[in-house]
Amino acid sequence: MAVIGVVATAVGIAIALSIHWFPADASTQAQNLRTLYDVLLIVSVPIFVLVATVVLYSVFNFRMKPGEEEKDGPPIHGNTRLEVVWTALPAILIVGLCAYSYSVLRSNESTHPGAMVVNVTARQFAFEFSYRNAAGREVVSPDLYMPARQPVVFHLRSLDVIHSFFVPEFSEKLDAVPGIVTTLRVTATRPGKYPVECTELCGAGHSLMRSAAIVVTPAAFKTWLSAQKPNAPPPVGVPPKNAAQPGVPGSTTPYANPKPPKE
Amino acid sequence: MEAASIAHAEHHGPPPAHHSSRVEAPTLGMMLFIISEVMIFGAFFTAYFFIRVVSHDPWPAAGTHLPEAVAGVNTAILLSSSLTIHWALVSIKHGNRFGLRAGMVTTFLLGLTFLTIQVNEYIHIGFAPHDSAQASVFYALTGLHGAHVFIGLALLLMVTVRSFRGHYSAEHHRGMEVPGIYWHFVDVMWVVVYTTVYIV
Amino acid sequence: MALSSKLRAPGWYRAALYDILGFAFAFGLVVLIRWLMHQHPVVDGRAITIVALIAVPLFFLVGLGTADYWFYWAAGRPQRAEDHSSHGAHTWRDYLRVNTDHKVIGIQYTVTSFFFLFVGGLLAMLIRAQLAKPGMQFLTPEQYNGVFSVHATVLIFLFVIPVFAGLANFVLPLMIGAPDMAFPRLNALSYWMLPIAGILMLMSFLAPGGSFAAGWTAYAPLSTTMPLGQLFFTVAVQFAGASSIATALNFLVTIITMRAPGMSFFRMPLLVWANFSTSLLVVIATPFIAASQFFVLLDTALHFHFFDAFVGAGKDGNVIMYQHVFWFYSHPAVYIMMLPGFGIISEVLAVKARKPIFGYRMMAFSLLAIVVLGFTVWAHHMFVSGMAPWIRIPMMITTAIIAIPTGIKIFSWLATLWRGVLHLDTPMLFALGFLTMFTLGGISGVMLAMIPFDIHVSQTYFIVAHIHYVLFGGSLFTIFAGVYYWFPKMTGRMFDDRLGKWHFWMTFIFFNLTFGPMHLIGIQGMPRRVAEYAHQFATWNLIISLSSFVLGLSTLIFLYNMVASWRGGPRAAANPWRALTLEWQVSSPPPVFNFDAVPTVVGGPYEYGVPGAVHGIFAPPEEARPVAAGAPAGRGGRTASSAGSTGEDEE
Ligand code: HEA
Ligand code: HEA
Ligand code: CUA
Ligand SMILES: [Cu+2]
Repeated sequence: MAVIGVVATAVGIAIALSIHWFPADASTQAQNLRTLYDVLLIVSVPIFVLVATVVLYSVFNFRMKPGEEEKDGPPIHGNTRLEVVWTALPAILIVGLCAYSYSVLRSNESTHPGAMVVNVTARQFAFEFSYRNAAGREVVSPDLYMPARQPVVFHLRSLDVIHSFFVPEFSEKLDAVPGIVTTLRVTATRPGKYPVECTELCGAGHSLMRSAAIVVTPAAFKTWLSAQKPNAPPPVGVPPKNAAQPGVPGSTTPYANPKPPKE
Repeated sequence: MEAASIAHAEHHGPPPAHHSSRVEAPTLGMMLFIISEVMIFGAFFTAYFFIRVVSHDPWPAAGTHLPEAVAGVNTAILLSSSLTIHWALVSIKHGNRFGLRAGMVTTFLLGLTFLTIQVNEYIHIGFAPHDSAQASVFYALTGLHGAHVFIGLALLLMVTVRSFRGHYSAEHHRGMEVPGIYWHFVDVMWVVVYTTVYIV
Repeated sequence: MALSSKLRAPGWYRAALYDILGFAFAFGLVVLIRWLMHQHPVVDGRAITIVALIAVPLFFLVGLGTADYWFYWAAGRPQRAEDHSSHGAHTWRDYLRVNTDHKVIGIQYTVTSFFFLFVGGLLAMLIRAQLAKPGMQFLTPEQYNGVFSVHATVLIFLFVIPVFAGLANFVLPLMIGAPDMAFPRLNALSYWMLPIAGILMLMSFLAPGGSFAAGWTAYAPLSTTMPLGQLFFTVAVQFAGASSIATALNFLVTIITMRAPGMSFFRMPLLVWANFSTSLLVVIATPFIAASQFFVLLDTALHFHFFDAFVGAGKDGNVIMYQHVFWFYSHPAVYIMMLPGFGIISEVLAVKARKPIFGYRMMAFSLLAIVVLGFTVWAHHMFVSGMAPWIRIPMMITTAIIAIPTGIKIFSWLATLWRGVLHLDTPMLFALGFLTMFTLGGISGVMLAMIPFDIHVSQTYFIVAHIHYVLFGGSLFTIFAGVYYWFPKMTGRMFDDRLGKWHFWMTFIFFNLTFGPMHLIGIQGMPRRVAEYAHQFATWNLIISLSSFVLGLSTLIFLYNMVASWRGGPRAAANPWRALTLEWQVSSPPPVFNFDAVPTVVGGPYEYGVPGAVHGIFAPPEEARPVAAGAPAGRGGRTASSAGSTGEDEE
């Protein structure tokens, strides 16, 4: 049985690793996660194979044969050594996995002094991205533009209910919560156009709350930014009661900004 | 004992259950119920904690204040009702029916006074639950407790009625002891509410 | 009976009358209050509906007669001696009235829950039909949100949680040698709150603005700004919650105070242990979901500001608080939906492998460990919620640690199979299916605990895959195993094993085809709770939808098997599985009062293969002597012995 198990494990790991699980990675965070996921697979497959092999082996070898209808198995009540082993081994695996995950998390969320700030405002049912241009004026865009290889800090706000900002190729997501500002860090790597999805149920239009993340070279980004007309700052904060579309750009209501996050 | 046929079993009723614990079932049931109740309060205190501590907002909301003194007097009233119900219990344990009745009536009246003062406080406090999140938490916590006092009073009323009909004796008084546990719980809970909401 | 006396006696006529009274009460109360407070118009449909949602069910319960005895007591009248008139069932009509017999209640619970399985499953078919192709099909996005919200809510609160309570209601008192539950009237009340919760949930489809549509999690402030239908969720969950607290309390008191002589805690069958642990979880955790829905109700109906982030001037509510309160219940709830299943598996595996449970004590302790750990992990549902980031780290660690006690259980079950004599009939197949499928679901759970990975897959179809691997491959497989296993005891009939095997294999195969690919499309970035999705996921979704329809059909085999076998299956013997636990030592179905005399327990519940082992003896302790080997099992033989007895008395 041990042989079957080892072979099945090897085959299982090989298959699991050869599947294209993820979309193309487009951020340093995503690259780190791909490695973590491979490790998770390498740990998980043997556990499942072990359980499945024991079940199948028992089914084939210990099934009741004709004439054994009244027979009972041997009265084995336990085995301390075995029980210690199957408590300790998972414990070790878990310590390892947690430590590794923690280090990935640390590096994914490490701060960079010169990071570019992008304000993300979510409302039913659209995202809005705002930047500061060279002149220090606010520029608002319905699509997310990002320079490659430059750390970006997103400050997320919501004007109504909870939304969530997710770009699968970045492997990062975070809720935009009414009343507070949440912070997300991404360093994009690969230029391209990726989907931005709202991943928190926010009402009837939730399925359609999509946008695009466009990663370009730093030079191209500069050109894009300076070509944008600065608008009024995106209205963030208290929407007027009963406003059908709170926070539409161009609305004249001045809003108080919620407290900025502590860094 | 032989064939456990349905018809046979029916006219002699169920066998007496074996008592596998020294605790009586009703008392244990009340204890578990109180654990649930504590958790309900726990959840309301979680709301309080998030709105007061995590959000870092002033307590009570700017421009309002809570009448600690009146509520303090009310606390004393409620606490003394714990003593009177205890007196009622001790009395009946000694077979003193008069003590039981007097204790129950006093307890009930003290509880009723507490509730009246509480309602009066709502009327004069000067803010409504929809004025601020702090006000929401204040009304929710004191209101939750008020609802428990109300239920407690309903139980006390039944016990009082039954005590006047002579239903309890030195041997049989679990029917008043179990509601009594609940009443003590309501009192203790108030001390926690009073301390966190009014004092701290 | 004349109509007027029917209206006065407890029952459906009076319940209908009281419903009308309840509505009139709600109407009057709202009009009175609005009139006193000078609000216009005095007749406000929304307010009346909200009050009626609470009042009508309560009036119904009173009308049906669940509280007559207590009113009698409260009014100070002398206590009546129990006449057992509400005990036992003689015709199917007895299942439709308030009954205090735990066996009747158990069947009421189980049948009601399975009705809701089919309702919830049918809604799942709608989900899959909508998602078969990209683009909008026949549901609007609002309707779609409503359908999956009701799907999940009904299956969690009206199926998995109560069906476990139902099975345990039937077998647990028998297993511990008790004549009934500790509080039979409370037990009846617990049951009758369930259909109320279910009907409220389904009635929400009739509400203006459609059914509740904020997911089964009902996050604020979405839920506080939803149309009226959302309040049906808010109120229905209170009834379901109250029902499960009352049952849990009842189980705990029964287990603690009513065990047969000789049944120490470590001689209890593991199903009893499992329900003991589950009940602890229920009693401690359920108040939190009640509170979370109170907050939503207050915010919606009375304009409180718990979750209003836009009051301004330092008076804001706190949005994330909802999630902490909700998950402090709902994470333990996932173990409420799993631990009783663990208990069932222990019963089935020991009996069907003809071996003692491997590591009995560790099995019991690991249940308790899961209970304790279960309270320390709630924020793993909130890794991307924007809460204070540091909370994620301890939650990741505690979450992962739960794999250890769960692993102990899985490995002990595997060791129980080892060298046994496996009877591979339907209950056993579902138990083995559970072992493998739950391991998969558990492993994906541990992956989710790893924060960076969860950040990627949270709120995607990977979560949907995890949910169904643990809830379908986990809980539902154990439920099927349990229902087949105790079917002979509950109905007195045998089921059709061949159909059962068909049911198993179809379920097993199409379950994997339905939910397996969801892992992949989730990681690739398909969000959950969407009525419409990108074209790149079209092929997989079509495969998933087609498989899910076959999965749905496989359930019809089960339905047919149950109905046909109950009506005309061969009569079941008292102990067709040759099991040791006490419920199998009485007739099938058991006599009205379970036992003539409470049995005495003299050994462990799983001593298969031990020569002469005895679990329970049907005589009072003084006279208890094991009967010699070869005594006929069941009705006549009063010993619970697998291989005769040596005459050794452990007491
Ligand atoms: C029956 C219900 C059930 C059960 C038992 C579980 C069990 C577990 N769940 Fe699951 N979970 C749900 C139902 C359940 N879950 C639901 C419904 C949701 C979604 C809610 C929603 O958002 O709608 C959810 C969501 C959910 C999340 C949040 C995901 C997100 O929204 O971002 C997480 C994250 O940590 C998680 C983790 C776990 C873990 C670690 C376990 C563990 O208990 C599993 C332990 C078991 C094993 C690990 C297998 C056996 C062990 C071994 C063979 C030993 C060796 C193993 C290792 C060393 C790995 N679950
Ligand atoms: C015990 C719990 C349970 C069970 C058994 C199921 C069973 C099923 N679930 Fe469900 N599900 C949940 C709990 C459960 N689910 C939860 C908690 C969520 C999260 C909701 C949320 O996000 O808030 C969810 C969400 C969910 C989604 C994601 C929705 C979304 O996020 O947009 C999907 C999508 O495929 C789905 C599908 C199914 C299917 C195909 C089944 C099948 O197994 C059903 C099988 C069918 C039946 C059991 C009987 C019905 C069949 C008939 C009566 C006859 C046959 C008819 C035809 C073939 C037409 N479920
Ligand atoms: Cu915004 Cu979903
Ligand atoms: Cu969880």
